[in-house]
Amino acid sequence: MRTDEEFTSNDLIQGHQLMALIFVSRLVPITVTFPSITGISVPQDGWIVMFISTLGAIPVVLWINWLAQAFPRRTIVEYSEILLGKIAGKALSLVFVFYLLLIAGITARQVGEAYTAAIMPETPILVFMGVIAFVAGNAAYNGVEVVGRVAETVFWIVLVVTVVVLTLPMNAMRFENLRPVLPGGLGIIVKETATSWIIFLEIIVSAMIVPFLTRPSDARRFSLLAVGGVGLVGMSFAAVLVAVFGVLTPTLTLPAFSLGRLISIGDFLERIEVIPMGIWTVSAGVKMSFFLWAGAVGLAQICGLRRYQPFVYPLCVLSVSLGVLLFDDVMEMERFSAPERSGICIMVIVLGFMTVLTLARLLRGNRTSGDGGEG
Amino acid sequence: MLSGRQVSILLLVCLLLSLSGCWSRREIETLGFVMAMGIDKAQEEGKLQLTMLVAKPFALGGGEKSNPQEAAVWIFSSTGDTVFEAIRNGNSQSPRRLFFAHNRWVLFGEELAREGIQQALDFWSRDGESRRTVHVAVAKGTTASQMLQTRFELERQPSEGARGILNNAAKALSTVVTVRLNEFLQSLESPGVSPVASRADIVPRPKDPDVRGEVVEEVIGSSARITGAAVFKRDHLVGWLDQSETRGLNWVRSEVRSALLVIEDPGNPGQRIGIEITRARGQSSVEHVDGRFVARIKVEAEGHLGDTTAFVEPETDIWELLEKRMAQAIREDIYAAVSKGQKLQTDFFGFGSYLYRSNPRLWSQVEDEWQDLIFPTMAVEIDVRSQLRRTGLVIRSDKLTSR
Repeated sequence: MRTDEEFTSNDLIQGHQLMALIFVSRLVPITVTFPSITGISVPQDGWIVMFISTLGAIPVVLWINWLAQAFPRRTIVEYSEILLGKIAGKALSLVFVFYLLLIAGITARQVGEAYTAAIMPETPILVFMGVIAFVAGNAAYNGVEVVGRVAETVFWIVLVVTVVVLTLPMNAMRFENLRPVLPGGLGIIVKETATSWIIFLEIIVSAMIVPFLTRPSDARRFSLLAVGGVGLVGMSFAAVLVAVFGVLTPTLTLPAFSLGRLISIGDFLERIEVIPMGIWTVSAGVKMSFFLWAGAVGLAQICGLRRYQPFVYPLCVLSVSLGVLLFDDVMEMERFSAPERSGICIMVIVLGFMTVLTLARLLRGNRTSGDGGEG
Repeated sequence: MLSGRQVSILLLVCLLLSLSGCWSRREIETLGFVMAMGIDKAQEEGKLQLTMLVAKPFALGGGEKSNPQEAAVWIFSSTGDTVFEAIRNGNSQSPRRLFFAHNRWVLFGEELAREGIQQALDFWSRDGESRRTVHVAVAKGTTASQMLQTRFELERQPSEGARGILNNAAKALSTVVTVRLNEFLQSLESPGVSPVASRADIVPRPKDPDVRGEVVEEVIGSSARITGAAVFKRDHLVGWLDQSETRGLNWVRSEVRSALLVIEDPGNPGQRIGIEITRARGQSSVEHVDGRFVARIKVEAEGHLGDTTAFVEPETDIWELLEKRMAQAIREDIYAAVSKGQKLQTDFFGFGSYLYRSNPRLWSQVEDEWQDLIFPTMAVEIDVRSQLRRTGLVIRSDKLTSR
């Protein structure tokens, strides 16, 4: 089944690099657009939304890893063919690859929108999308090891910058804005919690990377650490945003960027929002490269090719095209992220794929264990 | 066939083309830095008049090109149906592209403020150049345009002059409110609190050719004084707070950084003692007792003896009396502010928001009646704990003798 022996022999990453990849990828929607905060009816409940969705992501991580551990040296695309047979496996994997491509396209569009709305309104959005897709494509072309190393480096910078952005607007924070807690009950935050949880489903991309870990058994531990970490950062972001912007938080299109703009220490340290913006752009690039790499590898495995590289740049072009063509305007992009729109489709793709694989694994029982018992 | 190295060099050469900048490049010498904005009603019905105070870098900097006699700012006005239109119309007068990232003030004329400022607010939070850290102020008894014509000693940039006064008054007197756009917009939308803004008054200066200070030739005709506060109900200006009332508001909002209270000397009737407040903390809550709402304000203040107008030797009994008078002075400030708020029927203290935070269900029942019916008649209990800590570098005052 192995389509490219180089995947296992040379291209390996460490568990903590996987953690960095998942952490940085999940942080991108928080730092760029924070869709679960935008439009929330009771903004002070934002951190609770993040908390519940993080808790909800834990079973998903465990589920993904339960499936992956049966085939520690195979990607989800590969073991779907083992479990479901060639035709059904390939068909479902194609849908899965399309999902990865879609996320890469949305990420490019989010970065493009952020730059066009906030910093360089005259520059065509395609410039930003094209540049980020090209850089991400280059990383993906050079292999998961490069993607992992970039993520590992970016992880620490993102963490430091995030802490800086969360602490420096101290003068503008009013923590009383966080009260009352849940004035409308849990019922009114269901939609926002679902939006946030659906973004967490992106973690299924880790099912492509497990066989490329030096120790595939590390995947669960580091995935859980990443989810916990990103949950903590997301909750802090949500709380600080409300402390600073209060009732205005849901009106912001780029909440984290707006937060950076309020940094003013002694009338000296100010106008530094471009630094976090740059760092978050790099993290969006890491996310894109992760998804493009996973998509290209998946496609190569579906086609039974030895190398995935020929798919990378065409996928870059496709993802940018998707990012441009999917939404006419920013309002449409916001509506798209709602659970009742793309949310249902994503849930069907991700959870449906995993459910089918789980059922197949349970029905086949021990008959499949020999196929994947490589490590 | 090109080698990888050759391709890389070719790519690098191509990248050189992008060094000239992107579409959105802004060269500094093509920008006009707007330092303050004034918004008034235009003469034409329904239109807004924007007055922009643009920095003249060549008049400010050193070197051969600078001219200290030249005004450091260029002031001009333009009109439009919206703020954005007025700004764009301003470009027909300005040889440089107007740039708002360094804007420090959004100033409203009284007439417009009384009619409502919602129409003039949206741009500032929507635009990518403008920042939510700009100060919001209202010009008392005049237009924003007139206010922006005022000048300051020691600062050639009026926007910086006004900011310096605001910061000094906030740190030394606490008789001003420092309101940034972010806070102002939140107050407009938050439940149970009305916005306040800085208040700017014009102070005419006598025409004296003997001008001292940095401004050499220019005679300062009028200056601006930042003091007190402008009080809104929703987006309409409804009144003004004087210095004592503003300090009262700051006691309640825990925003007194330092202040000077002048109280009567308990040992020498008619004489005065200045108490410098060094630390203060205010806490408020709203309770619903027997069908009535009661606001409870608790203030803890510390200070030291600043100066006296007569001989004072602080004995224990005098010390305690001084502390009591200090507490009384604080209480009077707060009562003055509360009375003004109740008279104007606008809850700029945010008592309603305290209620919303502690009892959102009860708040939802009284929300509609809060500003007009409940707040104006609610009881307010004030508990002040004051402590006099030090006497400065001497214990007693100098004693005059007849010898």
